Order: sequence, then C-alpha cells, then structure tokens
Amino acid sequence: MQIDIPFIFMALIEIFKALPLTIIITLVPLIIGFLIGIGITIIRIRKVKGLYSLANFYVSFLRGTPALMHIMLIYLGFPLLIDKLAVTFRWTFQSTSIPILLFVLMALSLTAGAYMSEIIRAGILAVDQGQLEAAESIGMTNFQAMRRIVFPQAIAISLPNLCNIFIGFLHTSSIAFIVSQKELTGATNIVASNNLKFLEAYIAAALIYWGLTIISEKVTALLEKRVTVYNRGGVI
Amino acid sequence: MDITLIFDFFPKLISYLHITLLILVAAVAIGLVIGVVIALIRIYKVPVLNRLAFIYISFMRGTPILIQLFLIYFGLPALLTLVHIDASRANPLLFVAITYGLSCGASFAEIIRGAINGVEKGQAEAAYSIGMNEKQMMVRVILPQALVIAFPNFANSVIGSLKDTSLAFTIGVMDMVGRGNTLIATSLHALEIYLTLSMIYYGVVICLEKGFSLSEKKLQRFEGSLSAEK
Amino acid sequence: MIQLRNIQKSFGNQPVLKGIDLTVKKGEVVSILGPSGSGKTTLLRCINFLERPTEGEVMIDDITVSSQKGSKKEILTLRKKTAMVFQQYNLFRHKTVIENVMEGLIVVQKNSKETARKLAMEVLEKVGLTEKANAYPVQLSGGQQQRVGIARALALNPEVILLDEPTSALDPELVGEVLEVIKRIAEEGITMIIVTHEVSFAKDVSDYIVFMDQGEIVEEGTPTVIFNNPKEERTKRFFKRINREAGILESNLSSVI
Repeated sequence: MQIDIPFIFMALIEIFKALPLTIIITLVPLIIGFLIGIGITIIRIRKVKGLYSLANFYVSFLRGTPALMHIMLIYLGFPLLIDKLAVTFRWTFQSTSIPILLFVLMALSLTAGAYMSEIIRAGILAVDQGQLEAAESIGMTNFQAMRRIVFPQAIAISLPNLCNIFIGFLHTSSIAFIVSQKELTGATNIVASNNLKFLEAYIAAALIYWGLTIISEKVTALLEKRVTVYNRGGVI
Repeated sequence: MDITLIFDFFPKLISYLHITLLILVAAVAIGLVIGVVIALIRIYKVPVLNRLAFIYISFMRGTPILIQLFLIYFGLPALLTLVHIDASRANPLLFVAITYGLSCGASFAEIIRGAINGVEKGQAEAAYSIGMNEKQMMVRVILPQALVIAFPNFANSVIGSLKDTSLAFTIGVMDMVGRGNTLIATSLHALEIYLTLSMIYYGVVICLEKGFSLSEKKLQRFEGSLSAEK
Repeated sequence: MIQLRNIQKSFGNQPVLKGIDLTVKKGEVVSILGPSGSGKTTLLRCINFLERPTEGEVMIDDITVSSQKGSKKEILTLRKKTAMVFQQYNLFRHKTVIENVMEGLIVVQKNSKETARKLAMEVLEKVGLTEKANAYPVQLSGGQQQRVGIARALALNPEVILLDEPTSALDPELVGEVLEVIKRIAEEGITMIIVTHEVSFAKDVSDYIVFMDQGEIVEEGTPTVIFNNPKEERTKRFFKRINREAGILESNLSSVI
C-alpha cells in the first residue's frame, strides 16, 4: 500500500476552497429550518385545527425518510411544478434557469424544519410549567410569556441538541455532491478523479470534516457556558 | 408525472428491500460487538486503548458517513494488499457492512457508556451493601437499568442507520436505491421512483418505530408502574 | 373588593371545589387553612384563572369574569389586577433578581426601563434584597428567592396578592424571614389572600380566616372566633391534629387551641 502524503496536503488545500459552499448548504437550511420548526411547534402545541395533523405528518415523514430522498424529490419534482405553473400562467420563466443549489437548499430546509421542530418542542416542554404560570400571573399574554420567558430558556436547554443538529447537517451537506454540487465532498471527488488518487483525497476530506466538527463542539461548549450562566450559580 | 407508475415500481423496488435490511442487520450486529468492547474500554479506562477508542469515536462522529464509505471502499483493499489479499473484486456490500458497522459501533459505544454512567450511583452502593461483588453488581443491577436508559437512543441510532443505507448505492451496491437508479436509466421516471423509495423507507421506519416503542414499554415496566403509582 | 361567587372546579369527574362564595374587602388579609387536598390551592388558582373554574364567577373591582364566558382579554385584565406568590417561587430562571421584578413593570405595565428599575429597587429595598439585585435566582437561598417572588408581585401594585403556601418549600430556618416580609406588607394595608399551613402565622397576620375541607368552606370568621371558638366539628378536629402533629408547640399557638 502506498499513500502519497504530500498529495494529501495538496488535496487539503484544494478541497478546503469548497468550504464556503458547504457552510451555505449547512447554515441556510438550519436557519430556515429553525423558523419552520417554530411554526410547526406553535401549530403542534396550540393544536391548530386542520394544520395539526398536517404538521405531524410533515415531521414524521421527513424524519422517517433519508435526506437523499428529500433532495431528489425536490430536485426532480419542483421543476415539474414550476413548468406546469409557467404553462398555465404563461410565464416565460423556465425551471432550467433555477440553479440546482436552490433545490438543495429548499429540500434540506424542509428536512431541518422537521428535526428543529422536535428539538424546539422538547426544549419548551423541558421548561418548568411554573415559569409560564408565573409570567401569566403577572398579566403577560400567553404570547409574551412564551417569547420572553419560556422560549429563551428552551433555547438554552436545547443548545446541545442544536449543536448536534449543526454537526449532523454539516455531514448531511455532503449528500449534495450527488446532485453535482461542488461543496467539500463534490470537490473531493473532482480532486480524486483528476489525479486518480482516491484514498488520499478522501483522507483529506475526512480531516477537514473532522476538524470542523471538533471546532463546532468547542464553540458550543463555550456558548453553553455563556448562555447558561444563570444555571451555574457561583460568581457572575 | 404519472402517479400510477408507482404501482409498477413498488414491487420492483421492494424486492430489493432485503438488501437494505441485510446491511442494517449486519451493521447493527457489528456495531453492538464494537460498541460493547469500546464502552468497556472507556468505562474501565484501559490505558492506551482508551485513548484510541476516544479517537475512533471522535473520528466517526466527526466525519460524514459518505466520506467513511469512500475511505473504507478505497482504503481497505489498499490495506489488505499489505497482507497480499486482493479485495479489489470483493462485493461492495462487504464494504458497506463494515462502514456502517464501524459507524454504529461508535454511536453504540457512547450510548452504552452514557447509559451505564446514567444509572444512579446509589444503585451500585446498594448492591455492594448487600454483599454483591463487582461483576454481580454490574450484571444484576447496573446493566438491566442501563439497558432501559440506552434503549430509546439505541432505537434512534438504528433508524438513523437505516436512513444512512440510502447512500450505499454511491459505491455500487444494488440495494433499493441502486435498483431505483437502474430503473431510472431505463424508464426515465425518476420522480416516481424516488417517491416510491420514500414511501418504502417511511413504511420501514414506521414499523421499526412501532416495534421499538412496544419493546420499550416492556423494558420500562418498572418505571411505568412507578409513575402509575404517583 | 374581591368577590367569588359559586366557584366550582372538577378535574375529570373529581369535584375539587363544590361552590365557594367568598368576599374579601380592600386592605384585608385573608388566610385559607385546611388539610391537604381540601382544594385551597385550587381555589387560589381559580381567582386569577390559572385554573379555569368549571362554574361560577370572579369579581375584582369593576370587572367580573365568569367561568364559561371569560374571554382571554377579560382573564388578562383580571390578572393585571392580581399577582401571585408561588410555593416553588417560580422566579424567571434566566433573569436576575432585579430583572425578575422589572419584567412585569416593563412588559405588562409598559413602564420605561429607567422607571421600572427605580420602582424595582424600591420594592427590593422593602424585602431587604437590594444587594442581591444582580444575582440570578439559583444563586439565592430559598428564603431569598421567595422574597424576590414577593417583590415581583408587590412591584405591580396589584389589587390583591395571592400567596400559595409561600413557605411550604422552605427549610424550617428560612421560614421566618419570609413570614416577616409578608407581615410587613400586610401592615401596609395591601389586600392578600394566603393559603398556608402556618397556623400561628395565619392567626397573627390575618383579618379573616377561612377553613376549607373537601372542596367547601366549613367555617369562616375572624381569627379570634375561628381559633378560640370553632363551631364545626371538622374545624376542631383539624386544629387538634395540627396541635398533636406539631408536638412541641410554640407557646402562643398552644394557648389558642
């Protein structure tokens, strides 16, 4: 077995250039997913008529199927929908002019929404019921109480889960290479096949993902210390 | 889009479900063995091995399954040439099973360790206080309780692995997704095929969830009766 | 003036309150006594609709909220006229002591931050916690936390403060400081309804005593009447049991019963 170590370094540098796209494919879905998650959580906690079952199905289906399916379904299905609408409304717009990245972001946002809603809900349920009661007892509306008292505590409680989902999506973003996105994994494939050094290229990619994961964990640990200052007692 | 095609594709694709399940079962079996060993190494802090176990877990947690898959696919044959075994023509299923087994092993190890540490300290003390030795304490008192703590995470991890198997086709495994891709090449109905695949995955996940939650209830009967008394 | 009319509450088929009528005059301190499970806490929580009564209505000043028809808006108005002190303190965990007190002043009463801070400091002064203003609740003892809970309620200057077993969760040595604060507030003429197990304290601080058992008011009256001369058998039995359980009684209590 021969491993071309200098090539690993070269590959590292080459692949690393694709980091911005990986960050985009990781963060954009998480941010949109967070908003979707809040919406879904409100629907599920308030048991909004009509939407409740729909929200439950959304969460269950998206969590019950691989992210690859979400990407492929949106990537294949959304253009059909757009083209059909374009014909009906006589748009001159064509689905082929939409960059594939957009489909990836849409699909993964939906995925993230499902997972986020579970995290947010668990966080909210973990906040002591007495907190809500105390807020309402001083005359806050339910919305004010949720926004000012329950939600901030729920997010602090959820921080470890939010870190996990970030790392999860950092890794999930690698699937995007299947629809030819040149993020870290896509770039690795190109470097590997251009030089016919597959093992070296994937070692380099692994090192990058590993490094990013470790950094994310360290950052979370720091955040956790800051956010939950009120939980630690001791000196502020 | 032609929804009726789903009925055509469904039998064709589900006939490959057993490959997907085979990968899952192999991965869970390998993962359990690795997981128990690694967990013990970490709990008893075996010198050197503990350090290696830590790096192994950190690496598996730190890299996407896709990258792990490629690393094993290209790396294992290269390693084996050192001992003069030619693995370049081995069934890709083998590489998939090993990769997912290693991945499961890392998560199971953490789940088991967390669960054992999660059992209340007083339980061990109580076991010692009635004269049990360390092994009896572990087997009779700690492990049964740890199993209950570990189970939901274990179930989640297995379901996660099932979903991860959807990526096995990238190294040429003929599972459901692999078969789907060959169907796409001949039928040009990719959307219907992915819809069908999603439905099958969803169905399997629902079944697994039901099965797990039933087993969980059985496992937790002592917890349950406790909360019922309240 | 606060008036409760025919308050009933059931959990499932289980009736917890069987039609309670009670009038509390302005400036009055009313203590609700009774064995556990008698429905005292539920009654208190019905006053600010943390529990919605199954039947009956709550009247505070000019507004009346009925169990069935009470709209969200009416309930909110009701809650703005009341404040509550909880058994488990329920201080906002992610806010400092002064922020806990300011929260209602800013969000509900729409004061500016500066005004709220000034008012909050004044109230913290009353409960003797100005030096802890910037601490988080977890950094305080139970007694201190409950004093903040009282300050949070007091700051809103409500028509009535509802106190739900304010000392039950406290270690015995911390009970005194909280009772002392409550007593001081009572002397300022603030209307209070207190659910408590501290019989001697109730006798000391209250203008009026209500004795509840099994979801109904068994007997009510001034402390002198209820403690010295209870008419009902259940009331007598309750005090006798308290007496026995207490073992070594404080001298003033044993002289009463």
